Amino acid sequence: MPHYLKIEALRMLRNKRFIIFVVAFPLAFYLLYANLYGDQTDQSTGTRAAVILMVSMGAYGALAASIMSTAVPWAQERHSGWLRQLQITPLPNWMIIAVKLLSALVLVLPALLLVVLAAVLTQHVSLSAGQWAALIPAMWVGTIPFAALGLAIGSLTRPDTAQPIAMIGMFGLALLGGLWFPVDMLPSAMQTIARALPSYDYASIGWEIVAGRTPPGSSVAALAGWAVALGGLAVFAYRRATVRA
Amino acid sequence: MNAISLAGVRKSYGEVLAVDGLDLTMEPGRTVALLGPNGAGKSTTINMLLGLTRPTAGEVRVFGRTPDDAVAAGDVGAMLQEGTLIPELTVRELVDFVRRLYPDPLPLTELLRVTGLTDLASRRADRLSGGQAQRVRFALAIAGSPRLLVLDEPTAAMDVESRRTFWQDMRAYAAEGRTVLFATHYLEEADENSDRVIVIARGQVVADGTAAQIKADAGGTSVEFFLGAQPAARLDALPGVTGVTILSGRATLRTTDTDATVAALYRATTLEISDLRIHGADLEDAFLALTRPSEA
Repeated sequence: MPHYLKIEALRMLRNKRFIIFVVAFPLAFYLLYANLYGDQTDQSTGTRAAVILMVSMGAYGALAASIMSTAVPWAQERHSGWLRQLQITPLPNWMIIAVKLLSALVLVLPALLLVVLAAVLTQHVSLSAGQWAALIPAMWVGTIPFAALGLAIGSLTRPDTAQPIAMIGMFGLALLGGLWFPVDMLPSAMQTIARALPSYDYASIGWEIVAGRTPPGSSVAALAGWAVALGGLAVFAYRRATVRA
Repeated sequence: MNAISLAGVRKSYGEVLAVDGLDLTMEPGRTVALLGPNGAGKSTTINMLLGLTRPTAGEVRVFGRTPDDAVAAGDVGAMLQEGTLIPELTVRELVDFVRRLYPDPLPLTELLRVTGLTDLASRRADRLSGGQAQRVRFALAIAGSPRLLVLDEPTAAMDVESRRTFWQDMRAYAAEGRTVLFATHYLEEADENSDRVIVIARGQVVADGTAAQIKADAGGTSVEFFLGAQPAARLDALPGVTGVTILSGRATLRTTDTDATVAALYRATTLEISDLRIHGADLEDAFLALTRPSEA
């Protein structure tokens, strides 16, 4: 299993599209925005924009990594016959999806950590040890619902439809979840939708931690609920996709 | 114990009956060709042996176990009709990944050597030619040193030279006491590379034996001569003869033994025989005779 995980991670890190959209994009936008607005402060919490942007762009990179490393590759493997090649080896079926989920989590790390590193190095962002210890694991494990969503898309669609659906899902969740600009700037009807999305809960947990507050239990519970619901959908879709008729 | 056994196996896809009551067994250590035209049920049969498809009725056993258990135990390796590789991985990474999934695989250097991939080991899968990719897929099939190797039309995308090398490699693998089952619609491949040919058509076994037996059973050889107005009685009683046709004074005797038929024709009859010709059948004729839909 560790070898399978290594192979999965390796192939995505060699994929140019993945590197550009998932690793380079959030890093570049962080550097751009932090240079423009980094020194402004948020009135309600007194947090510097450079810190809030670190969470937003880190969250975007992590969300993009977890969807992009799952949906399209998995749809392609099912369609191209690679899945069948794996099914005639002793590899158990459940391990395929388990490794897909774990490799998505591993692939979240470069995007997330590079944005954090850029924040520390270029904007001199500093948090307490306790804040770092809460922020990084929360933003890492918090991507589980998105990886599950990606796997469900990969199980339910063909490669040529998985691509646009994954893109729309990824940018939709990022935009409406307030990762690119604050949710408060949206019309009120849109705000209601935005606040119901897992990406909003996910980023909120990060924003609360860097503001020095404990994330509200409602956000944590909502994100956990999404993880269970989307995880269930992913398992159901996976079974449906790999059923042997 | 049989390497493979199918008993009363049927598979239908809705209204379409792909496999219609297949019974066959295969001893270990043999190389068997599954020969049939497109749509005969070859791939469906293979997919059922590999556990990729469930039979509608009947029982499939691989080394006495269900196909799923045999696959889980690492007894089976296969090259399926379709199957692309992971483009971002190198040949070595792909082959090593698959061999590590098996309990008792071939050593990596040996595997690369016998499949002729040593020089391509560091190349990424998306930079391989079609023939090279097929070699990698063959390497994936034998990586785990499986007791049963299944090949579904393995040479379909290969040029002549790749084909020749491929069959050499396959025979070398089979020579170590492994069981090989390959599907093909190329007659000469079945003839040259197997010790038993199972011909299937419309989801049923229509012939089973060595290539030579199948040619003979199909009555493909014939003796033809000018008979003129002489009586044709008792020609059908000559040794080996399975059928007689007479057309405009020319007699054609279908026979399973041309030597015996010709000898008897001269020694045991008093006929005046002229312009005698012997037609040897090839497997192609036998195959066409066997797989032609019967007219109801």
